[in-house]
Amino acid sequence: MERSIAKDVGFYVMLGIGLVLMFIGPLIWDLFQIMQITQYVVLSVYALSLAYIWGFGGILSFGQAAFFGLGAYTFAVASINMGDTTLPFVLSFILPAAFGAGLGYFMFYGRLSEVYLGVVTMVVTLIFWKLINHTAGPEYSIGDARLGGFNGIPSIPILNVPGDPSAWLDPAQMFQVFMAILIIVYVVLRLIIASDFGRVSVGIRENEERSSLLGYDIRRHKVIVFAIGSGIAGMSGAMWATYQTFIDPNAFSMEMSAKALVWVMAGGIGTLAGPILAVVLLQWLSLKLGTMHILNNYVILGGIMMILVLLLPKGLLPTFQALSLRLWTIGKSKMKERTPKGKAASDV
Amino acid sequence: MSENYILTTENLTMRFGGVVAVDNVNFSLKEGELRCLLGPNGAGKSTFFKCLTGQLTPTSGSVKLRGQDITGWLTHDIVNQGVGIKTQVPNLFNGISVYENIRMAARRKHLKPMAREKAEEMMEKCGVTHLAKREVGLLAHGQRQLVELAMVLAEEPPLVLLDEPAAGMTGDERDRLADLVLETARKAAVIVVEHDMAFIRRIAKFTTVFNRGAIFREAMIDEIMSDRAVQEIYLGKQADVAA
Ligand SMILES: Nc1ncnc2c1ncn2[C@@H]1O[C@H](COP(=O)(O)OP(=O)(O)OP(=O)(O)O)[C@@H](O)[C@H]1O
Ligand SMILES: [Mg+2]
Repeated sequence: MERSIAKDVGFYVMLGIGLVLMFIGPLIWDLFQIMQITQYVVLSVYALSLAYIWGFGGILSFGQAAFFGLGAYTFAVASINMGDTTLPFVLSFILPAAFGAGLGYFMFYGRLSEVYLGVVTMVVTLIFWKLINHTAGPEYSIGDARLGGFNGIPSIPILNVPGDPSAWLDPAQMFQVFMAILIIVYVVLRLIIASDFGRVSVGIRENEERSSLLGYDIRRHKVIVFAIGSGIAGMSGAMWATYQTFIDPNAFSMEMSAKALVWVMAGGIGTLAGPILAVVLLQWLSLKLGTMHILNNYVILGGIMMILVLLLPKGLLPTFQALSLRLWTIGKSKMKERTPKGKAASDV
Repeated sequence: MSENYILTTENLTMRFGGVVAVDNVNFSLKEGELRCLLGPNGAGKSTFFKCLTGQLTPTSGSVKLRGQDITGWLTHDIVNQGVGIKTQVPNLFNGISVYENIRMAARRKHLKPMAREKAEEMMEKCGVTHLAKREVGLLAHGQRQLVELAMVLAEEPPLVLLDEPAAGMTGDERDRLADLVLETARKAAVIVVEHDMAFIRRIAKFTTVFNRGAIFREAMIDEIMSDRAVQEIYLGKQADVAA
């Protein structure tokens, strides 16, 4: 988990897959597929935000949607007002990160227990959801952007080439830009995790008491980790908003928070690649199931989740890794068995 | 007044509901002194340590480190003033390797390349080099004790608190530990809580005995050993347990 990057084969594999898809994808997929996969990419960035703070900082947040929504609305409001989407996109990271730092300061310096931390993050999400739902009237506008309450904000600009608001990205370009963002987020998080700061975070996750007995200020550490996660979640919200050109209060929903938890749990806590795989797998499944109209989508997803937790309590990726390691060792021992037999045959 | 004392406590008291775990303790330790802290189970030794490190906030009284009042400070602030503790139940980063554990400690005081060297040096000193890559959570109790000791010593704190460091150790490990404690005491003040009398005899000089949260006796170890009242509180406890 905390191996140095240089020896981490999985990291290079993921990086390679990401880069190949980024360049080859638009050539081989049709428009619908590109749109679909772009959605997976956005949600993967969102999943990574929780994968990092939970898996590598020990912070279990039930309110990741608060930052996702905040980023989405920040981007919507700012881009409608500014025209150019570059600064709004940057703001969609900075504002949620700052808000996360503030909330984190309150939670971690107030020494809230883990249970209260869960409650507070959940309540904050609910408050956002309630507040934004009540902004339907025309009096609730920021500059040119009407918040729209439960109706949401339509006509959010598509991401443009920085400095040229009229140069919108087409779907294939948007996919490539988002894929690049996902790769960057993945690499940066991996670098953070491998840094001394990241090691301390993992130490805090492993044993808070020992961390402070070594002299590490765990409150400060957690605030920083939480703020980074909040910023990434916010940025994914902005990606979502510009991808759909529309955002409504559901960005702040419990469902959105729960999805992040499900992806991280299903993919494997303490991994980055696992939650990405879980996003692709579970989103694809729910799309397939959704078109079949057999059962309510949530019921099926809930069922899948329960099966995953019961059968693969460690998550997809760690289970897969353990399995392939076992196959590898079995394969190796089989080879060893074969060698003496071969020798015997040649002796004859 | 307290200039040559690294640590003093004044009427230090820690209550848990009705239980007075530490009762009005006035304790002082000179710079560079090696002190053994004895006492039957439940005498309040570990609780006393936790009050010193800020793991517990004392109910009343004060703790001074080199004359500075640190009562109510947060643990990491106290630690950064130069206190290191090996807790009674080893407190380690279970999911990561021995080397990484010790490096985490060394990195507090040293820049990256130095931290690596320091960690390797401490592993060597504490005899855990052969375990460097092993996951700490899977080690035997005595080995875990040595790893934690290496972590504490890697930060070179001027005040070292060791809560039952010999527990679970093999004879060899115990000998190494005794040497280490004596060596550490040449550069730092050390308080050792221990039940193992053979081990105590090897290292102890001036010794404090706790009973029911209070200081019961303070004297040289020979005197303590032959003290009838001290023997009785130990025996009394054993009789309680037997009953
Ligand atoms: N967190 C706590 N809550 C309530 N009571 C406690 C707590 N910690 C310790 N105690 C009580 O305080 C008293 C002193 O305990 P402490 O662990 O300090 O003893 P000790 O001298 O270290 O004993 P041992 O030699 O067994 O380690 C005991 O009666 C214990 O039950
Ligand atoms: Mg104890």
